[in-house]
Amino acid sequence: MVSLTDNAPATQQPRPRRRQKGSGLNRVLMGILLVICTIWLIVPFGMAILWSLVDPDTGWNYPDVLPPSLSLARWVEVWTTTALPDALRNSYLLAPTVAIITLILATPTAYCFARYDFPGKGLAQVATLLPLVVPGFVLAIFFSSLIFNLGIYSRFLSILIAHCVLFLPYAIRIMTVAFENVQQDLIDAARDLGASPWARIRVAFLPALAPGILASLIIVFIQSIEEFAIAFIVGAPNFVTIPSILYSYLGYNFVRPNAAVVSLVLVVPNVLLMLGLERLLKSANPAQAGVKG
Amino acid sequence: MFRTLIASAAVAALATGASAGGHSDLLSKSWDDIVAQAKAEGEVSWFVWYFQPQYRELAAAFTEEYGIEVTIPEGTHDGNIEKFLAEASRDAGDIDVLAMGLDRIDLFDPAEMTVGPLTEVLPNGSKMVTELGGYDGLGYAFAYWGNQTGIAYDPEVLAFEDAPQTVEDFKAFFSEEPGKFGFNYENGGSGPSFIQNIARNVTELSESEFLDGAVSEDKMAMLQPAWDWFLDDADGYVITASNTDSLVRLSNREFAAVAAWEDHLFNLQNQGEVDKRIAFYIPEFGMNGGGNYNVVPANAPNPAAALVFMNWVSSAETQTKFNEVFGAAPMHPDADDSNALVPNEMRAYQTIWPGNPFNTEIRQAFIENVALER
Amino acid sequence: MSWRRTATILLLLMPGLGLILIMIGSVFYVAVMQSFGYFNLVGEDVFSLEHWRKVLDSKAFNRAFQYSAYIATVSAIGSVALAYPIAIWLRRPFRGSLVVSALLKAPLFVPGLVAAFLFINIVAYHGILNQLFIWLGFIDEPIRMQNDRGAWGVVFLQLWKNMPFALLLLSGAVQGISDEVLDAARDLGAGAWDRFRKVIAPLSVSAMQAALIIIFIGAAGDFAFQVTAGPTNVQSMSQLMVFLKDSFGRWNQAAVVGVCLMGLALGGSLTLALISRLLLRGGRW
Repeated sequence: MVSLTDNAPATQQPRPRRRQKGSGLNRVLMGILLVICTIWLIVPFGMAILWSLVDPDTGWNYPDVLPPSLSLARWVEVWTTTALPDALRNSYLLAPTVAIITLILATPTAYCFARYDFPGKGLAQVATLLPLVVPGFVLAIFFSSLIFNLGIYSRFLSILIAHCVLFLPYAIRIMTVAFENVQQDLIDAARDLGASPWARIRVAFLPALAPGILASLIIVFIQSIEEFAIAFIVGAPNFVTIPSILYSYLGYNFVRPNAAVVSLVLVVPNVLLMLGLERLLKSANPAQAGVKG
Repeated sequence: MFRTLIASAAVAALATGASAGGHSDLLSKSWDDIVAQAKAEGEVSWFVWYFQPQYRELAAAFTEEYGIEVTIPEGTHDGNIEKFLAEASRDAGDIDVLAMGLDRIDLFDPAEMTVGPLTEVLPNGSKMVTELGGYDGLGYAFAYWGNQTGIAYDPEVLAFEDAPQTVEDFKAFFSEEPGKFGFNYENGGSGPSFIQNIARNVTELSESEFLDGAVSEDKMAMLQPAWDWFLDDADGYVITASNTDSLVRLSNREFAAVAAWEDHLFNLQNQGEVDKRIAFYIPEFGMNGGGNYNVVPANAPNPAAALVFMNWVSSAETQTKFNEVFGAAPMHPDADDSNALVPNEMRAYQTIWPGNPFNTEIRQAFIENVALER
Repeated sequence: MSWRRTATILLLLMPGLGLILIMIGSVFYVAVMQSFGYFNLVGEDVFSLEHWRKVLDSKAFNRAFQYSAYIATVSAIGSVALAYPIAIWLRRPFRGSLVVSALLKAPLFVPGLVAAFLFINIVAYHGILNQLFIWLGFIDEPIRMQNDRGAWGVVFLQLWKNMPFALLLLSGAVQGISDEVLDAARDLGAGAWDRFRKVIAPLSVSAMQAALIIIFIGAAGDFAFQVTAGPTNVQSMSQLMVFLKDSFGRWNQAAVVGVCLMGLALGGSLTLALISRLLLRGGRW
């Protein structure tokens, strides 16, 4: 990381034609980054994959550098004896729903913060951070009491509400930043040219908002997939999510190979999803550049 | 709106055990009627915080016998208990049978919040254990699991003949082999058991004073020799992160011996997590033994099925099975206990946990006086 | 301000801020009241300052408060400092930039407990790092790096987990700065550092503040990293809170720690945000 920081200013050296800049330098930086990525990702994930394949009969103890024998027994065991298939379905139904609803709830407030000035705005912005400062289990316990008392007994709906409130701060903050990036002159120009409201949104707002929308969806999705306290307290016993299972394997039922299996099941689809979203993000960018250029 | 919400949250948090009396009908029925009702209910949920996958497999025998489906959710020990407390005001909760460490029985009033007394109701009731390790379940809570703390060691590094047995032995071990002994002070009770038994042996407190659970400033001050004992050899031992951390690092040859639970070691060895070479003993200066209880919450959604399940879990057959699979000490006099890691005569060194709140205060005092001072 | 404008603003705030205030407000209220002896799950409610006195007097609490504040500050500033140069480098797309940016963000998807578990495997007494050092001849005996007293393990994990988050927020903001502005600055002879300090940083200060605030709060409330990789001679605030709560249900004392943790999270993050704003915008809001 240090080397990268040291090199960063070099990329900014003035060159006659900016568009050509840095292809050689980028290659060097890419090289450095690949080494870092190895430490950053390949070593830990390599370890996780190895752990998930450890044979239950032989184990993996020092001084064995690698597991003495490999088997898929752990994968079979986790799939057949835990509620993992159910948990996968629940988690992947819950998280996208939470991400979309949170975005919808956050957008008006974010718009207001970015485009209006009003007395007490600073205080209101601080107030949106409240869900972040209440510790997880405290929040979960009282949330469940509250939800029971409101007469909501659907597990899915209860966790959905709780997650939406819990992750609203992320969406509001990110969307506020996104709305701040919308340029007023573009909105004015579109209006002066007689564009319909929808056309105005499409031309002036969407390009600048797209990265923020995606960032918000990604962040909330991840948080919801990972969240344990509320999903467990409110969801038990018939609504299991992936982290509930993971926590059991890294807690009292500590079994590293099984934990590695659940970790990979939880993490790998997310990373793939991330790659897809990056592509979406990229396709949003040229539009933005085009508008600004 | 806001006021209403706060009020309702308050009511939910405050109200406890609304309907304890509601099950007197059920308890007055004959066992055959209870079983019939249980079969009609058709399902039961058991909230237990460890070994859920293995329990799910074992519960298949129960489903086969009674045709009642068993749900064993994921969850933590205190998380389960908090859920039980938080939803006590609902007419029907989610929990049919709740498992807990025996000291947790002091957290609430069983007569108000759970179904019972059951000694006369359950067929196994008269033989099941309702008082264990100094904690009285009063016929509402029954033990289904017995366990023992002690020392796990690596026989390739430390021969049993050289293994420390007394407080003085440990002192000598710390100075001869610094950094080769590990124990935790949180995330599990094995380290706290070690700490408490050192304190029991090096302080002037009498046995009854030590166990009665009362707390006073004088009593806490009398623990000072124990804290000095630990501080004098601060480099002699390593504080680990949890029960499991201790055992895994022992297995990986970082330590020669650690404080551990017998049943926990047994299970980790079966899972291949800890090497089979690791052995276990109860030192002569004594370490704590205890177990876990089951209770049926007053608002259990399937109360009859819960009683049938509780009776089944504590039966001689199931307890024999638990000993085979988990190495747990059976909680039924007719069960077979031949799979334990230690010979029976060693059980004479078993001590019991001090009562609360003293039990908790010792742990906290260890943090204040030793852990933070290192 | 006209009534129409007021109504518009209130209406806009309702679904987001309104929902938060209603739901979190009631939870928050209950936690504060609990620290004064109310809202007990079991037992009588009596107003009492005893819980506050007991907690505030304890050495464990004071150490935990300082420790969590330290970890949170280092994590927030460190993550942002690492993420900025990368965000600037990735501002204009180039061949492979997509892959780089995705790879760097991958830790976002790894739950804290998993990260800590993988990390422990690597730094364990006989873990691959020690084995590598011995093999290379750097050391003769393995070093005990697990649960190190300087909390380097926790800081590393925090940076690993939070740098991508800062990168995600900063990329958006840095990409929103138009080339014209940067070119103009370059034409005026501004060096790389000046361009960062006078153009990029002020124009992305909102995103930077967002990153600082969210990372600070998350790190101040850390539980998973601390219990697995943290020093054993100090507890984090969350760890202490859970310890108290799980130690024979000392809910009231746990609530005191919880309320203080909320205070630390809110106060600390706002201070950081304020300082960054003052430094970069010279006191202008």
